[in-house]
Amino acid sequence: MTLLMAIVEATPSPAPVPGAGIFTSPFLLSLLIWIPVIVATAIAFMPNPRGRYEVLIKQIAFFTNLGMMAVLFIAYNQFENFLPTMQYEEKIPWLPGIGVTYHLGVDGPGLLMLMLSGLIGIASVLGSLGVRERVRSYFCLLLLAQASVNGAIVARDMFVLLVFWGASVVPLALLIIGWGGPRRVAAAWRLVGYWGLGTAALAIGVLALYAASGGQSFDMDVLLKASLSPRIQIAISVVMIIAAATRLPLFPFHGWIRDVLSEAPPGVTVVVAGAASRLGAFLLLRTVIGAEPAAGHLLSPLLAALAAMTVGFAGLAALRSVDVRHAASYLAMVPGGITVLGLAAISPLGIAGSVLSMFTGGLAAALIAGVCATLAERAQSRSLLVLSGLAPRMPNVAWLLTIAALALLGVPILSSYTAEVMTFFGAFKNQPIGAFAVAAGLAVSAIALAVLLRRVLLGAPNTDAPGVSDASLGETWFLGLLAGALLWVGLFPGGPKIPGTDVPLFDPGLLNQMSAGISDIASQYAAPTPPAAQ
Amino acid sequence: MATFVLALSSVRTRRSASATAMFGTVVTLLLTLLVGWGLAKRSTPFEAAYHYFTMSVAFNGPANFQTFGIDLILRADHLTVAALVAIEVCFIGAIAWHQVMGRSEPGAARFHAVLTALLFACVGVLLSRDLAALFGFWAIGGALTYMLLAHRWGLDAAASRSRVALALPFLTDLCLLCGIAWLYARYGTQNLNTLLPILHTNPGWTVRSLVVASVLLFLGVAGRLALWPFTAWITQTTITAPPAASAIAQSAWSVLAIVLLYRVMPIFVASNQQTLQALLAVCAVAAVVAPLLGLIGNEPRRVIALAGSGVAAIAAAVVISGFRNSSTTFAVAGVACVLAMAPARAAAWFAISSIANAMRTDDLADMGDAWRRMRASSTALLASTIVLGLAATGALTFGVTSRSKLGIALGEAALLIALAALRLFVATAFGPLRRRRAFEPDRVREVAPGARSSPYWLALAGAAFLIASLIAGWLNFLDGQKHPAPAVAAVAVWAAAAIIGFAVCALVYARAKDGALRASAVAGAWLGRGVSAIFAVVDRFLVAPTTGIARLLGDWIPEGDGALGRFATASGQLALASARAPALPLLIVLAVVLAVAVALFAPGVAR
Repeated sequence: MTLLMAIVEATPSPAPVPGAGIFTSPFLLSLLIWIPVIVATAIAFMPNPRGRYEVLIKQIAFFTNLGMMAVLFIAYNQFENFLPTMQYEEKIPWLPGIGVTYHLGVDGPGLLMLMLSGLIGIASVLGSLGVRERVRSYFCLLLLAQASVNGAIVARDMFVLLVFWGASVVPLALLIIGWGGPRRVAAAWRLVGYWGLGTAALAIGVLALYAASGGQSFDMDVLLKASLSPRIQIAISVVMIIAAATRLPLFPFHGWIRDVLSEAPPGVTVVVAGAASRLGAFLLLRTVIGAEPAAGHLLSPLLAALAAMTVGFAGLAALRSVDVRHAASYLAMVPGGITVLGLAAISPLGIAGSVLSMFTGGLAAALIAGVCATLAERAQSRSLLVLSGLAPRMPNVAWLLTIAALALLGVPILSSYTAEVMTFFGAFKNQPIGAFAVAAGLAVSAIALAVLLRRVLLGAPNTDAPGVSDASLGETWFLGLLAGALLWVGLFPGGPKIPGTDVPLFDPGLLNQMSAGISDIASQYAAPTPPAAQ
Repeated sequence: MATFVLALSSVRTRRSASATAMFGTVVTLLLTLLVGWGLAKRSTPFEAAYHYFTMSVAFNGPANFQTFGIDLILRADHLTVAALVAIEVCFIGAIAWHQVMGRSEPGAARFHAVLTALLFACVGVLLSRDLAALFGFWAIGGALTYMLLAHRWGLDAAASRSRVALALPFLTDLCLLCGIAWLYARYGTQNLNTLLPILHTNPGWTVRSLVVASVLLFLGVAGRLALWPFTAWITQTTITAPPAASAIAQSAWSVLAIVLLYRVMPIFVASNQQTLQALLAVCAVAAVVAPLLGLIGNEPRRVIALAGSGVAAIAAAVVISGFRNSSTTFAVAGVACVLAMAPARAAAWFAISSIANAMRTDDLADMGDAWRRMRASSTALLASTIVLGLAATGALTFGVTSRSKLGIALGEAALLIALAALRLFVATAFGPLRRRRAFEPDRVREVAPGARSSPYWLALAGAAFLIASLIAGWLNFLDGQKHPAPAVAAVAVWAAAAIIGFAVCALVYARAKDGALRASAVAGAWLGRGVSAIFAVVDRFLVAPTTGIARLLGDWIPEGDGALGRFATASGQLALASARAPALPLLIVLAVVLAVAVALFAPGVAR
């Protein structure tokens, strides 16, 4: 018997996971929503004469996010992945007259999205350390945005979901108007217009669902389990698809992404691209794929077509862009297309791949948008006609941009590889044409990335370009955090184990935790066993 | 991997980076030989499995589809060991050559780190039995190959040419991924050990699904094997990539791709005969066209790339033919052919690069007299081109009959390969070396001793593999089956095809070297114009309209939003104005408008 085996056998079984028994709370999910709101309110009323406490405000925001991440990590470790039901549930009557309850809960996909939101939160604060003007207002709005995203993820009541869904628009729009680039007003209005349309569509869908299911309750356990006729399912699903398509975004509802991601400051870019936009795919998973199987089957070709058009358009548009932030904005659409392909696959593996793709795609989109925003700031130019040969002078940015490109393409070692393999493997059975089309779109995106890398990083330096400087420590950290998360999950999708054993080290494995609840959703789409071959 | 980490983290000088990479590669070779020695005492291959992840995705449905997992299933058999030895020998030669000739290349630590990481990826591809894990290593190798070929970051030409080295193989790699995904979608497994036995027994299998999978897998293999027309990712980077990078990219990938082809052949066989016939035809066409294109144009490294592509196509044809006719009997001869070709190709690459570097030109027409001025490099070039020309002899001897259509086509290909290969030696070794602007022929010297030996040793390794490929015992060793010894007449026939090619080349170039080179230059210029014209047509009628539509959409949608916004603003202003307007005039105006509308639209009112 080896020494390692002796240690394992000496360990009491089951092995205690980090955080077990240390911290529990019946309002764990509420903490993730309301602590940022409380801190934001405190910051808003905090005196800040002549900017004296700006550093303190940034520290408060950072440690708030760090604290939430610590709470999330404990919740992640304590999460019981063998249970198909919601966990950490909270249910308080809110508007009983119309059947609204303050109902929160997470399953595997929800936990995944929370982890994504937590990572993005920390990254966004680190990416915002360079903000100098109206610091108090900025971080107040940033925390409110994070709170609304968390609320939308954990909501188990459609009314509550609608509230948080709509609430996320306001702080983000204000952040863009207040701290964005030259075309910030247009960008903010675009965001309000498209996401407002999506919110309106969601409202119509929720109300239709409410009416069709008897008008008693907005709770998801009632609405999403109601037996509806296929026609009503389709109508509601179409509206939900519109809502999701404006948020993710999917072609042709992508009009906001170019301006928003290119005009927003880096910290806001990361929140929009990484967490807020993933809510679109999350909505599709919950309300269409998870709840309306008949509509899911019928509309899956439409979803596959949208996915293929999104990925193809993103690659082509990025190829033609002469602005580095525009190119990054278009490329940030690619992971969304792959996520939707997985949902369109309506197969268990495709759905599982799509859920993982929400996490990895969010990180990849945030990374490409964030690194190009940083590059444009540091190089003092956004024009691809001016930027050239920056790799020797900006090695940190060069490596991060390369990792972002590899993450978008799904190169192994990064977690997007696992997600894309699962998505493609799951999609080929039911949507082979869509899968081929997305693969072709990925090839175009690869060319676009190669052109982008070649123009910006490689080649001879442009002597007429403004002076450049490499990313600062904060910028390296916030981008490195995103890249590190991609690498970690890519190397240990099932969590690191003590060598030679199956005992988890300190991470139970994202794939293991996210599987809770997926089997229930996916089992509706499991193919029947074909007759045995003659 | 350890060497990669070391090279990336701690080495600072070019020499230490090179030494670290060499150390790691040599250790890997010794370990490979150790595994080979261990295999000699066993009848079964070594197998080991490491769990990457497993995930439960459904509670019902076919059992194969209820869980999904990727495991690292490693299998080392004789074929794996031989392929690894061939690749590692190429790596060692490349590092040794680059130590001397790559002094002016930037980023030594980066180069050697990527090189050792590529070796890691090659080992992973050869050992993996799980297709998803294999694709993982394959994709890593692809990304690293691009980084090697685009190594010269400061040059515009290098950056733009290396785009093809990313895009084209990526496209074929996606086909490989699609093929693996297609197989998984039908069979619920991507492990070759469990997949191959159930190809015809899994419920719901169809011939169509196997045909689609076969085509996709073949496309994936053909891209990395650089079969024509997928040669562009090598020929476009011949001048712009470091020679060591190009040599490794061609040699290593040809071995990896042919081994993968050999391993997935049972899937092709399980489809139908028509598919195999079609793939054979494709290989035969590629085998003939590639060396033919190598005769056009005077860029020497392009000639080697295309000649090697021809040999690879012959090897692929032999592998497919071997499985088509009598189940794995002679298919492994195709693999043995590539094992011989890979080191020879690298050797020729290094030798011609040394000569081209010394003569400061990449045009065969400007080269000459190397036999007198650079005897060692010329000799190495001669040896390697002879091995390259004869590399396919063993495969053809064992696998193809000379009386068949396939035999005639592949024989023609072998002749063209020999012709193209020896052309390099004859054009560079003999004839005058003319004075050019800023070039003095008398200053041409042999390369440093450290760079002279690599091509020799590689050519020797290639020759050893070539001789082995003619021996039945070697094939017995590779695939563990019994093969009858080849007939001497068969060997003579196929060797004669190559020798005729050599003889024709020697004759033509001896009589009219300048004329031949001029003709190939003109043909090359015409070919270049033709290719440019085709690219221009594709760009004009496909790429530009598509990207133009994308650009228009990208502009039209924001303009549409803007118009909607202006309309909303205008209607809001109108509403505001009407709210402020006095009520009576407004009512009168509204009444008039309504009356006119009713008059226009209601029937019988305005008569």
